[in-house]
Amino acid sequence: MAHMIKRRKSFFQKMRENEKVQSISTVVLPVLLGIVILALWQGQQLHALFHTDTFTLPIPTTIGEIFIDNLDKIGKNTVSTVVVALIGLILGSLLGYGIAVLAAVFPKFGKGGLSIIGAFASIPVVALAPVLNNWTKDVSKDASVRSMVAKILVVMLIAAADMGLNAYRGLTELEQYSEDLMATYAAKKRVTFLKLRLPNSLPYVFTALKVAVPASIMTTIVSEYFAEYITGIGRQIRENIVLAQYSTAWAYILTACLIGIASYVILMIVQSIALRNYH
Amino acid sequence: MQKKKITDQNWFSVVCWLLLIVAAWEIGAIVVAHTKRSPENILPHLYQILAAALSSAKVSGGMTASRVVLSSAGATLFRALAGFILGMILGFGFALLMKLSGVIEKLAFPYLMLIQLIPVLGLAPIILAITGDINQSRIVIAAILSFYPVATNTLEGFKSVDKDKYDLMYTYAAKKSTIYTKVLIPTAIPYFFTGLKIAAPMAITASILVDTLQGDGGLGCMLSQSLKHAMSIYVFWLIVFFSAFIGIMSGYLMSWIERLVSPEYRGSRRAKAGKGGD
Repeated sequence: MAHMIKRRKSFFQKMRENEKVQSISTVVLPVLLGIVILALWQGQQLHALFHTDTFTLPIPTTIGEIFIDNLDKIGKNTVSTVVVALIGLILGSLLGYGIAVLAAVFPKFGKGGLSIIGAFASIPVVALAPVLNNWTKDVSKDASVRSMVAKILVVMLIAAADMGLNAYRGLTELEQYSEDLMATYAAKKRVTFLKLRLPNSLPYVFTALKVAVPASIMTTIVSEYFAEYITGIGRQIRENIVLAQYSTAWAYILTACLIGIASYVILMIVQSIALRNYH
Repeated sequence: MQKKKITDQNWFSVVCWLLLIVAAWEIGAIVVAHTKRSPENILPHLYQILAAALSSAKVSGGMTASRVVLSSAGATLFRALAGFILGMILGFGFALLMKLSGVIEKLAFPYLMLIQLIPVLGLAPIILAITGDINQSRIVIAAILSFYPVATNTLEGFKSVDKDKYDLMYTYAAKKSTIYTKVLIPTAIPYFFTGLKIAAPMAITASILVDTLQGDGGLGCMLSQSLKHAMSIYVFWLIVFFSAFIGIMSGYLMSWIERLVSPEYRGSRRAKAGKGGD
């Protein structure tokens, strides 16, 4: 008896301590959960749970079919969304980094500027988007161009806030004594900046991007709701729901999720390449 | 103690920047006023917006502009708060559950990461369609948006506990519940508040966005009606400034609550109070 109890205990212990079992279960368990959820969705048990029907929440195979049927239209809208998010992200990150550099060089006034730009990040996109729509009315005679400019500006502000705050930390939170070391070298301010502060800020840039990339996609989608020109994934979700074409809307939601995941994977790859000399 | 110069203070440069922005806005407003036919649509003077907020003229349904904004803000913000609190409790509970059970963590952790990458606000229209009720969908979306920053940050907090602290607790022969209440949860509290600071403006944004989807009162609804000139355009500007203010304040409110409840600030507060008493 005592022997059995001991054996059973050691089996669980083995399971817990076996690295192979643990690493396999890290992959297998979530995949299983995903399959179960998809099966419940396909089998319409999810619909019973949410008190809804297959019209508003179409089953996965229907969404898949519609996704494939509309591939070229979805592709066009994806390009529009991704271009806006990407340009906004790049410009915003550059602006944010520039502000962070200014704040690090002139801390007296820069710090206040950072607080202001941090406050900008908390302004609801819903309030920013229509204002910038109004301001960009004269940019171009072409509605598609001017609404794109408005969307880019909104994304830019959001991305700049994330980048500014993080990059400033990267430029100022230095390794202990490293600044003193530069001082003993009698290094010029410019050299300290190039050799110490800039490299130190790189990991923080990626921390900022991890927040800014999903945020800029979300911001693009929301500002598409308010844009003058009807284009983009977000706008299509809304338009199709207004027309009660829920399965098409779901196909666009699927696209939005795919964009989000793909952009994150790309960011991770870039990060692992850029930071391979760190630590 | 040497007295700090006024120009060294952080708030001084904030004020300078604010003045700069106001000046830029006013210059823009003057330019627009001379070149456009209806400048109030593009860039009204700040004093005009202020005047609209204080004026007693009725703009809609026998209410002044400020009344319109405040009464619709009530509906929107109350739901945002309800969803925020719901998401906060669920997020914290879920993080605790994931810490308690390795199997649950493995099951759910990849999905917790995935949900961050999904533009949840894009789901707003579909959630409105599923729930069918605007108030319910406001709460649901605000809850989802608050849930994941709180859950991921709190979990990170649980994981950040040093091994030394566990070892110390084992030498004390501490019970599991004691380890949680004395070590894990206190360590996770600052992380929890980081999550809340991210979540609060998002919950407000979500709630306003849901309003714009259906004409049923609320800040977002008034915003789009005013944009379509169904009522004075100043209502639009008031809502823009009001929601910006609320969004910014929500972050500060969270910091303030954090200071109020965190043990690491309690000591300094007591010292201050003691000094005041003497």
